[in-house]
Amino acid sequence: MPECTNPLWPCAMTGAAACLAGFDGLTVVIHGSSGCYYYPTTLLHAPLHGTFILEHEIIFGSEDRLNEVIGGLSGRGKRIAVITTCVPAILGEDIRSMLEKHDVILVDSPGFSGDVEAGYKNALSILAPRIGPDVRGVNIDGVCLFDPFYAGNVQEITRLLSMARIPVGTIFSHDRLEKVQHASPYTIGTNEDFASGIGEYCGGTLGFRAIGATFKRLGEVFADADVDRVFLELEQQEERIVRACDKYLLRFDPPSVAIFAGFSYAVHVAGTLEKYLDADIRCIGSRNAPGESKYPVEQVTGLEGVRSLIRQHNPDLVMGSSFERSVCEARAFTGITPPLRGTVRLAPSSFAGINGTLSLVEQVLNTCMDQKPVKS
Amino acid sequence: MSLNPLPIHTSRFGGCTLTGALSVTTHVRNTASIVHGPKGCTHHNFSLLHATGLDNETVTLPALISTALCESDIVFGGEGALLRTLDAVAERDLDAIFVLSTCIVDTIGDDVAAICCREYGVPVVIVPTAGFLGGTFQNGVANALCAIAGTAAPGPVNDCVNIIGEKNLEYEVEENYAEVIRLLGTLGIPVNLRFVHDITFDEIGMLGAARLNILREPALMPVGNYLKQRFGTPFIPTFPLGLSGTLSFVEAVAGTFGIDSSHAVEKERLFQRDTLAGFSDLKGMDASFDPAMSDPDGVYSSSEVAEALRMHMKKPGTSCVPLGPGTPVGTTGVRRMLHRWRRQLHA
Repeated sequence: MPECTNPLWPCAMTGAAACLAGFDGLTVVIHGSSGCYYYPTTLLHAPLHGTFILEHEIIFGSEDRLNEVIGGLSGRGKRIAVITTCVPAILGEDIRSMLEKHDVILVDSPGFSGDVEAGYKNALSILAPRIGPDVRGVNIDGVCLFDPFYAGNVQEITRLLSMARIPVGTIFSHDRLEKVQHASPYTIGTNEDFASGIGEYCGGTLGFRAIGATFKRLGEVFADADVDRVFLELEQQEERIVRACDKYLLRFDPPSVAIFAGFSYAVHVAGTLEKYLDADIRCIGSRNAPGESKYPVEQVTGLEGVRSLIRQHNPDLVMGSSFERSVCEARAFTGITPPLRGTVRLAPSSFAGINGTLSLVEQVLNTCMDQKPVKS
Repeated sequence: MSLNPLPIHTSRFGGCTLTGALSVTTHVRNTASIVHGPKGCTHHNFSLLHATGLDNETVTLPALISTALCESDIVFGGEGALLRTLDAVAERDLDAIFVLSTCIVDTIGDDVAAICCREYGVPVVIVPTAGFLGGTFQNGVANALCAIAGTAAPGPVNDCVNIIGEKNLEYEVEENYAEVIRLLGTLGIPVNLRFVHDITFDEIGMLGAARLNILREPALMPVGNYLKQRFGTPFIPTFPLGLSGTLSFVEAVAGTFGIDSSHAVEKERLFQRDTLAGFSDLKGMDASFDPAMSDPDGVYSSSEVAEALRMHMKKPGTSCVPLGPGTPVGTTGVRRMLHRWRRQLHA
């Protein structure tokens, strides 16, 4: 793998922590150094524990330390999940047998094994989700603590399902642990980069078209669902977007845009801005491996790549993380990708669902209008 | 959080050596720091440094380059990746390259020194770091300061001071520096170098030119001793803390320069009296210190302020208002701490 200047995406260990820490009933222990512990703790804002191993344990083995930490956390009514980081992963210790007297879920997720998505999927697969054939409702997946919009997405999709009188099944990954084993046979998504693969996938919720198709399918699956209420709100809110965007276009040219995000979010943003604002999507710098897209897309893992794309395409509007904000100079900027540092975010805002699209378009319009020169 | 730390394991919570070292090396302008390890370690630190910079109203984008070790490098050795990265980074127009290692690299036993001692056409400085294997955050800071100091040679000495080991990730780093400058100004003494805070690689060559080094905190004593040995520069072990600490700081600096400090000390004493007078409403109030306040210097300087205001300090953990931890730098730092105390006491 070539060297990487200022890597922009976290490692597999962080992804595993983001998955496991979302489940109530699970105590997550990061088996590694203090550095490996502090970063996910500050990023995920979730209660994590660490073994904080030292040189002594590398030389003489980490069994005593692991048992010390696990012993202190046992007996509190929660299962314990241990995530191994880079160094413990290569020591060759049989951690499973070390911890045989404890009921522990072991997740081998060293940072060198991949990026955040790989760690998330690996951890979720180890939890071995199961479908309960008689479980009513629909699972919500793609909910990852790493995503700054995860809480808003859960609220918004729960609201839409409630409007359609469809019960919520299991939320992957932000639910009670026991519900992992009793998932619904049907699933809808909020972010396909963190798809669970559990149950029959009924569609996503990024953008109005996707929401419409997904709820149409849900209406077929759940005979007693009231999806018409969702369609009505879709129609009303889309009209508001169209009016706001048309008003913008009366005075301004469509923005040219460079988007830096996970592939799933990036494609949604591109489609939305093109549809309602006739935006010129100059490029997508995907944080993860991109799929097929009608937009120009390439994977960008370091800050140099971001700089290069911005220089090359010279967009009016840059959408990404606070890293992109730092290098976009005087261009309009909208934050859609973690990390979103240097800004206060308290209320949960959504990216998925009807409110997610409203919020996206609202932010883009306000940002672009703020950027235009004020008449003297 | 239950981690059951044993007394001998206090270093478990001392943070990452790599982060400590990067908090120093990234403050040398037009240089790059190569982090020899998996990409995640570099991303973690880049994100942290970026966030801290934003807190301080600076857009901090330090050049951190990861050798991006993958599983096969871990199995077969990562020296090739380091060599490849050094070759590529040396092509950039930089004044120096710092090379820092990670836990995993020290565990697999890569010979970082052997790769770095080759000729790259640009100074390559190895900073001994290996996450937890290298010690704590503080060890990382000290190792980086000593490694960088090793690039400077002794030279003629002038009537000025160096500021050594500022906490670059500290929210109030600039305000603390400004307070030290104010106190040095009362004696007419200039600063030669902020070692290391936003300086050029060339400026490091001036490190030996100061008559006195002022350390940010006593934990940097090994660095102070190293600089004393290398350049013969004496040091004061800490920034001025609290009321009496500020007065004794002025006296100690003046003593090194052979200056009469009586006028400056008297002026500062009056400033302290006026500062305390502005908080006379706190007189007689019951309070305690937050049990989290474990730094003995912080406890001493805070106690002294409470005593000067005739506050009634109870044992930590009692039911009265717990005042948060603080290590007030100079009289200005005392004033800011008292504003926080007032807010807590009147909350």
